[in-house]
Amino acid sequence: MIEVVGLTKVYRTQKAVQDLSFQVNPGEVYALLGPNGAGKTTTLRVLATLVRPTAGTARVGGLDVGREPIRVRRKLGLVNGGMRVYDRLTGREVLEFFAGFYGLKGKAFQEALDWVAGFLSLEETLDKRVMEMSTGMRQKIVIARAILHRPPVLLLDEATAGLDIFARRALLDFVKAYRDLGNAILYSTHVMSEAEEVADRVGFLHRGRLVYEASKEEALALGEGSLERAFVRTIREAA
Amino acid sequence: MDSVLRVSWKELVQVFRDRKLVFSTLILPVLLMPVLMFGPTLLLERVVQKTAEKRQEVAVAGVPEEALKALEEAHLVPVPVQDPEALVREGRYPAGIAYQDGVYRVYARLSGGITEGQVVAGKVQNALQSLKERKVAEALAQRGVPLEVLSPFRVEAVDTATEREKASGLLGFLLPFFLVIFILSGGQVVAVDATAGEKEKGTLEALLTAPVPLFHLALGKTLAAVAMALLSGVAGLSGLALGGAWARRFAPDLLAQGGAALGGQVVVDGGSLLGLFLSAFLLALLMGAVMVALGLYARSFKEAQSYLAPLQLLAILPLLFLQFRGLVEVPSWTSLLPIVNVALLMDALFKGTATPSMALFTWGSTLLYALLALLGAVRVFAREEVVFRN
Repeated sequence: MIEVVGLTKVYRTQKAVQDLSFQVNPGEVYALLGPNGAGKTTTLRVLATLVRPTAGTARVGGLDVGREPIRVRRKLGLVNGGMRVYDRLTGREVLEFFAGFYGLKGKAFQEALDWVAGFLSLEETLDKRVMEMSTGMRQKIVIARAILHRPPVLLLDEATAGLDIFARRALLDFVKAYRDLGNAILYSTHVMSEAEEVADRVGFLHRGRLVYEASKEEALALGEGSLERAFVRTIREAA
Repeated sequence: MDSVLRVSWKELVQVFRDRKLVFSTLILPVLLMPVLMFGPTLLLERVVQKTAEKRQEVAVAGVPEEALKALEEAHLVPVPVQDPEALVREGRYPAGIAYQDGVYRVYARLSGGITEGQVVAGKVQNALQSLKERKVAEALAQRGVPLEVLSPFRVEAVDTATEREKASGLLGFLLPFFLVIFILSGGQVVAVDATAGEKEKGTLEALLTAPVPLFHLALGKTLAAVAMALLSGVAGLSGLALGGAWARRFAPDLLAQGGAALGGQVVVDGGSLLGLFLSAFLLALLMGAVMVALGLYARSFKEAQSYLAPLQLLAILPLLFLQFRGLVEVPSWTSLLPIVNVALLMDALFKGTATPSMALFTWGSTLLYALLALLGAVRVFAREEVVFRN
C-alpha cells in the first residue's frame, strides 16, 4: 500500500532523508522510529505530497506521489502532533468542510459522519466549537478529519505529542482498530513504548537513513524485550 | 469551483465568528467615518463662529479716534498700551494694532493652525477695511466724483463644470481614497488570518493534504479577502453617507459653510454605480491576491502584518497626489498604473467624465495584475520551504 524506493530529500545543502526504502502493507502498522531530526517528518511529508522528493520514488496505493498528488491525497489521511483544526467552527462544520473536498456531501457526508462519530465516540462533541473542546477531543476531530473519507493509508507523525494520558490511550486504541479494518498505517514516533504497543513492523531511522528494519518481535528480541535498547544498540553498531 | 467557494466560506465564517474583528472592521468604520469626515469641519466652524461673535480686547498704540470707534463697532475692545507687538507675543492679547505714518500694523500669532489671534486679526482687518472704504467714499463725494469710478467694470468667474462635477467636489477624491483604505484594511483581516494565521495555528498542513489544486485554495482565500474588503468598503461609505445625513439634519447651516470644502453630495447613475462596483471589485481582487501571497510568505501573523503595513502606505501614497489632478494634465498611461488608475476612474465615474477607453484600460490592466498576483500566491503556496518555514 505504501512503497518507498531509494527516497532522498535534500533541503538546500542538508540531506534530510537518504536512499530510504521500505513498504507498508494493508492491515499493518509500520513504526518509523528515530530521534528528532532523523527524517521521519520529511518522509511522511513526501508521502503526503506536501514536499517533493529529490530522488527516488514513493507510491501510495500504487500512485506516484510526485506525479499524481491529488489522486494520492484521496487515498491517505495525515495526522501530526502539531496539527489543529479551525477553532471557531464546530466539529461538524470542520468535518463537513473537509468532506466536501472528497465529494462527500448530503447523504454521503451524513453516512461518513455517523461512521466516524461512532468509531471515535464523537457524538456528543460534534456541535461544540473546537475552541470549547478539550485537547483530547480536538485531537479526535483532527483524526476524524483525516479518516472521514476512509483512506486505505494513514500517516501518523508524533500524533500523541501534547496529549494527556486518556487522549493518548484513545489514540493508540484507535490506531489498532483502524489497522484491523485492513488499512496501512505508517506510525512515526520517538516514543518507543508506543511502537511496542501498536506496531507490527519497525524501522529505525538515523540521520536520514534506515539503519534497521524488522518485525516488532525480532526488534524486541534484539533489545531483550525493549525497542529502546534495540534502537540504541543498532545506532551504536552503525556508528 | 465548489472547492474555491468552500474555502472562501470557511475563511469568512472564521472571521465573522470573531466579534472583535467584525466590530473593528465593519461596525467601527460606520461609527467613525461621520466623526472623521464631518466632525473636525463642523467643530471648527462652530468655534470660529463663536470666537468671531465674542467681544475681545485688542492692544492699541497711536490709533486715531475714528479707527477706535470702528474697532468697537466690530465687537472689539481697544486697550491703549505702549508696545502692542510685545504684548501679543507674550500672549496677553490675541491681537494688537499700532498706527504710525499712515500705516496700521496688525499684530497676531498667525502661524500654527487656526488660532483666536487669526480670527481677531481678521476682525480688525475687516473693521479697518470698512473704515477705509467709508473714508474713500466721503472724499470722493466731497469732490463730486461718483463712487462707481472705483469700479469701472466687474470680473465674474463662471464654473463650466457640469452639475455632477460641482456636486461631487472634493468628495470625488475623498471617496476613492477612503474606499481604497477600507478595501485594504478589510481585506487584510481575512488575508492574514487565512494565510499566516493558518500557519501559526497549525491548520494549514491539514488543508494542504486535501485533494484540491493549490490554485483553488489560493483563489478561495483571495475571494474571501475580496468579500471582506468590499464589505469593509461598503461599511466605510455607509458611515460617510450617515455622517452627511446627520450633518444635514442637525447642522445644515454649518455644513453649508464648512462642508463646502468637502463638496456637496455625490449623485451617480446606474451605469456609473456598476462601474464603481466593478472597479472596487477588481481593486479588491488585486490587493487580496497580493496580501494572500505576502501572508503565505510570512512565518507568523506578526510578520505578515509587518509586510502589509508598508503595502498599505505604498498603495495610499500615490493617491495623495490625486488631489492635484486638476492642476496637471493626467497622461493616458496612468490608466495602466495599479491602484492609481482605479482611483482616477472612480473619480471620473463620480464626476460623470469617465470615457470607455479609460474604463477598459483600467479594468483590463487591474484584472491582469490581479491574475499575476494570484499566480504569485500559488507559486508561494507551492514552495515547500515557504509553507513549512515556520
